[in-house]
Order: sequence, then C-alpha cells, then structure tokens
Amino acid sequence: MRADLSLDRFSPTRRQALLGGAAAILTAGAGREARAAAGTVVVSNWGGDWNQRTVRFVETPLVEAQGLTVVRDLGMEPERKAKLLAERRLRRGSIDVIHLNDSDGFEMMKQDVLADLDRSRIPNYGDVVPALRKDYFVPWLYSGVVLIYNKDKIKDPPKSYAELWDKRWAGRLGLTNQLYFNYMMMSGLIQGGNLTSVETGRERLVALKELVQPRLYAAHQQLGAALATGEVDIALNYKARGLQWIGEGSPLAIQYPKEGAIAITFGAGMPKRAPNPDGAYVYLNAMLDRKAMAELAAASFYAPANGAAELSPELRARIDFSPEEREHLNFPDYAYVSKNTAEWLEWWNKTMAR
Amino acid sequence: MATLARSEVLALDRAARARPRIPSGVGGVLPGTLLVVLALLGPLALMLRYSFNRFVPGELMVEGLTLANYAKFLHDSFYRDVLLTTLWVAALSTLICLVLGFPVAYALVRQVGPRWKSKLLILIILPLLMGNAVRTAAWMVILGDKGLLAALLSGMGLTPPRLMYTPSAVVIGLVSVTLPFMIVTLQSVLERIDPVLEEAAESLGAGHLTILRRVVLPLALPGLLAGTMLCFILSMNAYATPVLIGGPQFHMMAPEVYQQVAKAMNWPFGAALAFVLMTVTLVLTTTANVLVQRRYRRWSE
Repeated sequence: MRADLSLDRFSPTRRQALLGGAAAILTAGAGREARAAAGTVVVSNWGGDWNQRTVRFVETPLVEAQGLTVVRDLGMEPERKAKLLAERRLRRGSIDVIHLNDSDGFEMMKQDVLADLDRSRIPNYGDVVPALRKDYFVPWLYSGVVLIYNKDKIKDPPKSYAELWDKRWAGRLGLTNQLYFNYMMMSGLIQGGNLTSVETGRERLVALKELVQPRLYAAHQQLGAALATGEVDIALNYKARGLQWIGEGSPLAIQYPKEGAIAITFGAGMPKRAPNPDGAYVYLNAMLDRKAMAELAAASFYAPANGAAELSPELRARIDFSPEEREHLNFPDYAYVSKNTAEWLEWWNKTMAR
Repeated sequence: MATLARSEVLALDRAARARPRIPSGVGGVLPGTLLVVLALLGPLALMLRYSFNRFVPGELMVEGLTLANYAKFLHDSFYRDVLLTTLWVAALSTLICLVLGFPVAYALVRQVGPRWKSKLLILIILPLLMGNAVRTAAWMVILGDKGLLAALLSGMGLTPPRLMYTPSAVVIGLVSVTLPFMIVTLQSVLERIDPVLEEAAESLGAGHLTILRRVVLPLALPGLLAGTMLCFILSMNAYATPVLIGGPQFHMMAPEVYQQVAKAMNWPFGAALAFVLMTVTLVLTTTANVLVQRRYRRWSE
C-alpha cells in the first residue's frame, strides 16, 4: 500500500520504468503457467554430477524426447525441502518432481508435502525391487554402508561392523561427518540387533572413539582423498562411493558387513501441489526405464532400484548387491529417524565431533 | 461555532505554512528507505518470533511462546563453549589483522607515491573480488596435510605442523579474509591525518615511537575502531572458513546455526542461536565503541 502511495512522488519516467518492470514480472509469471500447460516439468534436484547423469540418461532421452520441457531447480536438499515446506500454504506449488533420499522423502510425506503416487501411471514401478517400494516415493538408486579398505595394506579386513572395535585399526579408520546417523544406527545394530537401538549403541560409539580414534572428515570427497593418500586405510561409507574411488584408481576393496549393510535409497516424489502432475508421472516412469537404469548404474556405481535393469552380468556382479546381500540390507525405520535425528546430531557434535 | 472552526482552520493553515518545508528529495528517498527497513528487519522479526516457538521432532515447529530455546543455550555447556570459541577466534584474528594491517596502511599512505598507491590498493582489494569459499578452498590446498606448505617445509628438511582442521588454520583463513577490510579502512583514515603534524612533533624532538603513540594513533583511533569492528563482526559470523578448514570437530556459532536450521530442522533453536550470536556481537561492539570514544575524547582534550 505504502509503495503505491509513494509511487506518486516519483518522476514519470521512473514510475513508468517501475510499472514496466512489474508488468514484465507479471507476464513472465503468466508465461511460465502457459508453458506448464504446454508441458513443462519442474524438477528439483541436486546439482553437480548427480544432475548431469539425470539429464544425460533420463531427462534428455526419455522426457524431453516426449515433447516435455524440463526446468531444473538445483540445490542441496535442506534448501529444496525448505522451499517445498514454505509452498505448502500455496494453492499451487512450483515443483513437479523432487529428488530426495528415502529419509527425507518420508519426512516430506509426513509434512504433507509429497503425494501418494498412482502406480498405474508408472508402469515401470512393477520392476522395482520389492523392499524399496513406497506409496509416495519412486526409488531410483540405492546403496549400503560397507567397509571400504586399502587392499594393499590390509590383507585380513574386518568382516563385520563389529570387528572395527579393534586396536589394530587405531588411527586408520575414516568416517564422514555427514553420515553420523548411519554410524549411530550401526552401533545400535551391533548392540541391539536392529536399527532402532541407537540408545543402547551410544556407549559403543564412545568406546570406538577411545579405542580406534577414527578420523572425521567433513565430506565424502575428503574421505576419498584420505584413502587415496593413505591417511586412513579403512572407511565406512556407501558401496557406491567405494566403487567410485576404485574407479578413480585407489587400491581399495569392499567388504559387505556380516550384520547386513545399512541401506540408503535415492529417488523422487511428486509434491501434492505439483502444477503438472501428468508431466510428473511421465518423468517418474522414465526414471525407472530399464535401459536408463542400467546406464545410470554403470555411471554412478549405485545399484538400480529397477530389478530388471539391463545390466551386463559382470557389471551387476560389481555394482549390485547379491540376492543374499540384498536380503540382509537393513532399512532404517524412517519414523524413528525423523523423530530422533535432531537429537542424534546434537549428541554426535557433543560427543564424537569434538 | 462556525467562526471558531474557521479560525481553527486558518490557524492550522498558517501553522502548516510556518512549518519548515520537507525537502523535496525526501519523497524519493522514503520508499527506498522503507523497502530497506522492511527487507532488513522483516526477516529478523520473523526469526525472533521463531526463536520463541517449540521444536517437536518430526513436526518442524509448533507455535508457542517459550524461552526454552534460550534456556537450552544457557544451560548447555557445549553451546557456551561454541560461543567462547567463536569469541576468541574472532578476537585473535581481529588482533592479528590490526597488527598486520596498520603498518601496511601507514606505508601505503606515507611511503607510496600516488601512482603506485592506487595499484597497490587494487591489489589489496583483489582477494575480495573472489568468493570467500573459493579463497578458503585455496587455503585448504595450501594447509592440507599433503598441501603446498607441508611440501615446502618437508623439502627444506623440516617436519610440517598439522594445520588443517585446527583452530590455527581457521585464524589464518579468517585473517586472510578480513585483512583487506582492515587495511582499506585504516588507509582512508590515515590519509586524512596531515603529515605536518608528525613533522611538527619530530621538530619538537619526539622519536618515531612517541609520534606514533602520541600523534598518529590517537588521530587514527576512529579508523582503528571501525576496522576492528568490521573484522570482528565478519569473524564472529564466519561460516565458510570454519566449516572448510576448521573441519567437523571445530565448532563456531554460524555453522552451528546452519546445522540446527538445515540439518536438524530445529528452526526455533537455530533462530535462538542466531539471536544470541547477534546480541553478543552487538553488545561487544557497542561497548567497545563507547569505551574507545570516551577515551578518544579524553585524549583530544
């Protein structure tokens, strides 16, 4: 209101310029809606190589080839989640498809952001590995927390998470700070036999800190570099990361833990207020395309959520989990995670990251 | 009745005419000012409101009016330690900036000719043209365990100290970020001190140190104060430097705020932390300002 009043005091030229600007913004908005009707899918995704692979194997060949235009909104997940949370009050959102991990997907579903999906409109969903299926989520790529070790230096690697509690590994174990929740669930798994025993696992973690003094790295990349330079010899991280580092030439090998690896799934969902649900369904179905999934798996080293992905036998042996390993994967209890993760982070900062 | 009203109107009319006219420029300035005030204070007010909300895990935020978030900060020794770390790191890097920046600024003003001065100034400002995160990344390359510095030192037969992920590395990074601000601020103030004053002091028999202590420093005090505050505030709120070269085991306030808001999704506590940080910074800088100003007045009398 005040802005309107004060406009009267502007010289005509400036007022015209302002009105012109406002008009330009309005028409730009209208233009976006018009394009949405003509087939635009707005995709919220991570940037970097994750997005590059998405564009190369899914968006260009399978979505844009169908005449849809893909508009990308790239960023880290906290910002992208916050945007969707802020949009909940609007009648119409701005995002059609959002890429998230499984825990965040659950959280967004709980926050009334993600819609339940109509699987009849995603024919490829029938190929999805049963353990990964969710009503609100299209699982895409998955991996598990495994033991990654330097095979030149370690001939007798630990076979389980529990075997890391050993003086032999003092100063040689590297952890990623970002995966704190996985490490907390891991110690719960050792102590209590499931992923909801974090409470009883804490002492184990404190013991690990005293016994092994793991080195804590801020990000995956730094842990990878530390493994490459020999600063540490064992790491707990996703199998896909280990395979990437091996691909980059580090002398590493991977050991699947006896307890069963803690799984992580990446995928996508559709917000309830998506402006173009039809486009979103085309996109979600394209994500699960058998050929695209195989190419993605080969490029990213993540296992494809589509069990029927056309992987060559040797590639499948290298990247995917064996049926037995897959059966032993431990999936987090997402409700438990979302209820406790704030407190875990605090505990981790105060106890482990100090 | 009617006459009364009329006289009132007349009086008002006269009063309006008698009042000094508002300068015509105000009309143009007002909307901009309003916009700035709204854009600056709006988000702050919102965050302040959030800091009184309750956090229920898994539900983001529950409307409330509680001081629990501030109480948590006060009662939790971890967060008090984080604030203390932030304070000493900011104070130390500010002090180093002051010690390093003053001679450079003084030399720039007194010893460098006008042709070179502008070129050198651009050189000093040059790092500011590059993003903070990028510069910090370069420091990571230099300070890393297998970094340039380590290679150089071991090449000379010395054992390189472990710098990466230590508070020392953070202080080095912060100094490199804030030093240009200090130098530029000091330079602009020193520039206004007439060299004749120093010559006069010298002719009266004062040595270099006395001139510095009795003439230059008191006159440069406003600049010293401004530069110190700038560096201190920037260091208190540093994010990229502590995160990238402090590592996960080094905790400062700004990264802690980000973690609470973005990772733990605990907006109320994140907002409370942000306000604690802001209040502490504000109180310290204001107190320093008042104390120094008082001293300055005494000096100049």
